[in-house]
Amino acid sequence: MSTDSVFVHKMWVDHELSKMVSAKTVPFPMLSDGGGNVGKIFGVYDEDAGVDVRGRFLIDPDGIVQAYEMLTPPVGRNVSETLRQIQAYQIVRESEGTQATPSGWKPGKEVLKPGPDLVGKVWKEWKVTMAFD
Amino acid sequence: MIQVGKKAPDFTAPAYLDGEFVSVQLSEYLGKWVVLCFYPGDFTFV
Repeated sequence: MSTDSVFVHKMWVDHELSKMVSAKTVPFPMLSDGGGNVGKIFGVYDEDAGVDVRGRFLIDPDGIVQAYEMLTPPVGRNVSETLRQIQAYQIVRESEGTQATPSGWKPGKEVLKPGPDLVGKVWKEWKVTMAFD
Repeated sequence: MIQVGKKAPDFTAPAYLDGEFVSVQLSEYLGKWVVLCFYPGDFTFV
């Protein structure tokens, strides 16, 4: 979603995005936020520049915001990190809160099972090296 | 103001999808995981 009109979105797909991706377009709706009205609600609208900054919101199937990230324009996002967070939140949701993903978790790594038995024992389950790849 | 753990505000916005101009409402996606990305503009550099 940006403050561009849907007409500009079409021109961008036709003239630039189509040259970047083999599918020639993107498989999700490109939303137009005229006046930054949605951006204002989500706290990403920069009044001075008149644009929505690089905000990313992860919303679960119940419509709950589980995570967000906000960057100023010159630095791009890390898509892999967004996917990792979705995978982590999906595990937590499927376990109905009986599992949690510690720092550095990614698919295939150990999850934690929070509860009285784990109090003061995280050091046995999780090492600092696990925070890194 | 958005808070994690709280409901995302619903909105409707015009959109471009698969060669068509459509209208999208966030609440249509209840039951699915949604990544809502804002960006400064088409034809910008990053």
